[in-house]
Amino acid sequence: MSAEPDTEAGDVATPSGDAASENGPPIPDPESVDDEGYVIGSGRSGIVRRIGHDDFDPVGTLVLIAIYMVIVGAMWIFMYFVEFLGGDLTVIG
Amino acid sequence: MEIHRYEKIWLAGALLLIVGFIATVSYGAVGAGIAMVDDEGGQVDPASLDDHPKFGEPGTYQAGENEYDVYVVARQFLFEPGTSEPIRVPAHSTVTFHVTSPDVIHGFEVVGTNANTMAIPGQVATITVEFGEPTEYGLLCHEYCGSAHHAMEGKIEVVPQSEWNESMVVN
Repeated sequence: MSAEPDTEAGDVATPSGDAASENGPPIPDPESVDDEGYVIGSGRSGIVRRIGHDDFDPVGTLVLIAIYMVIVGAMWIFMYFVEFLGGDLTVIG
Repeated sequence: MEIHRYEKIWLAGALLLIVGFIATVSYGAVGAGIAMVDDEGGQVDPASLDDHPKFGEPGTYQAGENEYDVYVVARQFLFEPGTSEPIRVPAHSTVTFHVTSPDVIHGFEVVGTNANTMAIPGQVATITVEFGEPTEYGLLCHEYCGSAHHAMEGKIEVVPQSEWNESMVVN
């Protein structure tokens, strides 16, 4: 029994830098997990979860940019085709 | 370089906006016939505008059937004609304004419309517009020209064809 390791089946921390933390499931860094709240400089230093390049989906950013572009496009159409081309006394020569 | 697929989407969107802006302006120039003010008006001597055949006696000149030339001198701080007496043009006519200045840079803006240009000493700005129904337009200087710039204003009267008469043209 004394030979049993501290961790079981990788669901508790493995120190960062360990080979198992490179591609495995989420592994919290045991040194940063405490009950004393956040202390400046006490952020987790280990890799919590490693994801691929395209696995990060900033959907909120995409939606914000889409809304922004729709507003810009609509304002341009209104400004040019309604306000400008629909305006009086346009210079034609 | 690996570009995230979302980034490709908004990059394409930004390019599409730019292409759209250029396309609409091109349509305005080619399809809708919007013209830019250029240097086709030529140059004059700002010190001797009084000797100029047209600017010496500014006003409305008939250039053809239903076509008129209006010569306007913008000076500190009035339009001549325009301020002390309104510029008069007939309704449903094509009018070319020739605007210049003997002193400093002024602006010539028909208020609330797309017609405006700078009036630069020595340079004649020409803009052609088509007037419709009889109405009145305000005229403003929209380039700061001195202490009374804010008071530099005038009026354009679009006179009904039935009331238009030869006394309203210089020539």
